[in-house]
Amino acid sequence: MANSKTLHAVIFRIGALICAAPAGIVREILPRLPATRIPGVAEAIEGLVNVRGTLLTVLDGHVLLQQARRAEDEGAIVLVEVGGRRYGLGVGQVLDFLEVPEQSVAERADLPGVDPRLVRAVGLRDDQHFILLDINRLFEPIIGA
Amino acid sequence: MDVSKYAALFLTESREHLSVCNQLLLEWEREPSATRQVGGLFRAIHTIKGMGATMGYTGVADLAHRLENLLDALRQRTVPPGPAVFQLLFRSVDALSASVEGAVVGAEPPSDLKLAEDLATAAAGIEAAARGGTSAVRARRNGGMAAEAGRVRPVQVALRRDALMRGARAALVVQRAESLGIVSALRPPLARFDSHDFDGRFSFRLASGASDEQVLDTLKGAGDVDAVRFEEDGVAATVGHSRQIRVDLGRLDALMKQVGELVVAKNRLGVIASAASDPALSEVSDRIARLVSGMQGEVIAARMTPVGEVLERFPRLVRDLARDLDKRIRFDVEGDEIELDRSILDEIGQPLLHLIRNAADHGIETPMQRAAAGKPEEGRILLSASRERNYVALRLSDDGRGVDREAILAKARREGVVEPGAAALSDDLLLRVLARPGFSTAEAVSGVSGRGVGVDVVVTRVRALGGTIEVRSELGRGTTFTIRVPLTLAIVRALLASAAGERYAVPLAYVAETVEFDPRSVTVLRDREALLVRDQVIPTVHLRELVRNQPRPAPPRAPTVILEIGDRRAALVVDALMGQQDIVVEPFDAPRGLPPFVGGATILADGSPALILDAAALV
Repeated sequence: MANSKTLHAVIFRIGALICAAPAGIVREILPRLPATRIPGVAEAIEGLVNVRGTLLTVLDGHVLLQQARRAEDEGAIVLVEVGGRRYGLGVGQVLDFLEVPEQSVAERADLPGVDPRLVRAVGLRDDQHFILLDINRLFEPIIGA
Repeated sequence: MDVSKYAALFLTESREHLSVCNQLLLEWEREPSATRQVGGLFRAIHTIKGMGATMGYTGVADLAHRLENLLDALRQRTVPPGPAVFQLLFRSVDALSASVEGAVVGAEPPSDLKLAEDLATAAAGIEAAARGGTSAVRARRNGGMAAEAGRVRPVQVALRRDALMRGARAALVVQRAESLGIVSALRPPLARFDSHDFDGRFSFRLASGASDEQVLDTLKGAGDVDAVRFEEDGVAATVGHSRQIRVDLGRLDALMKQVGELVVAKNRLGVIASAASDPALSEVSDRIARLVSGMQGEVIAARMTPVGEVLERFPRLVRDLARDLDKRIRFDVEGDEIELDRSILDEIGQPLLHLIRNAADHGIETPMQRAAAGKPEEGRILLSASRERNYVALRLSDDGRGVDREAILAKARREGVVEPGAAALSDDLLLRVLARPGFSTAEAVSGVSGRGVGVDVVVTRVRALGGTIEVRSELGRGTTFTIRVPLTLAIVRALLASAAGERYAVPLAYVAETVEFDPRSVTVLRDREALLVRDQVIPTVHLRELVRNQPRPAPPRAPTVILEIGDRRAALVVDALMGQQDIVVEPFDAPRGLPPFVGGATILADGSPALILDAAALV
């Protein structure tokens, strides 16, 4: 049974990194959708997509985390809600929905190749490390106040 | 009876009545010898009292009652209304307004004992001074009516179908009729007014010397009266029958949203039908397109509201500002009958408020300064609305001191807003400088404005509405801000243009014409490329360069859209034009650094998102 000590997270891959977002802020998982580019904004903004008649700004996780896109990835959009607004995070592939005891994730911030400020914690899944992303920090420079 | 569900209606109606009160008070204060206003004030306050009592808002009813006492005393004209009385009346209307707003959310403010005492003192003072006179007037009035009650006429009253508290309202109508003479043969009887099947229609006979118009006025003053008929020998004379109902704005919003989606679906169907080359499908697609257009027009028309609804609160505001600032300001409103979409109207109030406060605080000088400058002591602020093509222009002008460009330029140079070498500040640049967040030229921060918030908020809000703003200012002569907003927010007719493989929508409201780019007509205007179109030199903007930083292809015969806002123009050179489409402006969470020429976004007929170009940023 879930309790306050259980972490629910959506696990996905961005380039070579296995990442996670807290399930509490994930609203939906969408397939990759054609995006309309927005001129003049940061490169990390993939553009606007049409989600059943509503416009969604999608941020490219590969650019945000400086990861190379893998050819075999189909691509997906993780729809998250940050500060009352909804954004899409473009990822390589969504892997899993995870429930893990909170003590099994450790606060660790020194992963090679990842800005430590973007890492909330590190956990283990199938003998592989995953990074619990600090989505607020990740998006903040891009989406503004 | 559970009346809580009527709270929203109570609030709407009370706000209308309070707004009327403010207008009447302003008029009356300007001309204290006038007699018209006190009656209107009394009726409005009386209606609020009645509604408040029925809703169980005792604070509202009590305050209205006290105010009514003073108004009644004033109505007898035994004491001339003076400045102190006007101030007390304004204060009471404000307090009543706060009480109304608080009551509907279950937080009636505590009684203002000082105000209650002041009202009582004012009313008692007047009564004490003229006790004999007042009762004499009363006796004469009632007696007079009774004596003249030679004419007996049948009266039929129908309350509005959406009237709340029909029974109470009907009783109020009867009570008002009794103030004119003798009421008899009331059907249904008073006791039935409270029953569930009372439909708001009733009749009686009235013996009174008052004219039909007087009776009509008096009865309608009870509020919610739809029609009054004086029926004689079976001939009905209907006066003032209204065919209107109140609709919750949320319903209209929902309807508009649905119609917006219908428009998108219609566009999509059109694309599918023309690709399928099936005559039956094309026919039904055309028919749906026509029906949707008609429906769209009707919904937009239903949402149109006179701008007066927003502007009417400003005269009171300017009066109070002038008092606080020790200035004399005459405020006029023109064109308050011009209509705008309700949602735009709701959004435009705040920006206008900022500009009005700025005009009163920074624009208009003190009477002494004005006299020294050879101007009339009373400053003037004019707010005018007018219709220009597919948008509405709201102009706020003052005859105050104007903007000191030298001072602003110096400050802008210091803050690095303009190039150090900039010699002069054009109107465009002036607006850009004023609109910088936190930019303020006020030496001292006054209570009214000058905190450096204002023009930037105004510009942001207006642009979010798809509108534009301009400023003209002359030192010593005054400043004029012109805000242009589209008539309706939700659905916009747009021209689709492409550049570097991307599609953009250009609102047709700002498109004057389309021409072909002719390299032989290229000229230079202030170091910028410009196009000569029928003797007019129009600066060019290449869309490809704008959105992709790609070099201009400058192909001969490239389609060129001439944009026009007021007297400013720009020639937008594009790769191709792809026809017109009704587009629905879709909200989206804009990322940081969104360039000013992106005015919004939409979903095109094929389902893909497209950005809307903001003409104001291009001209």
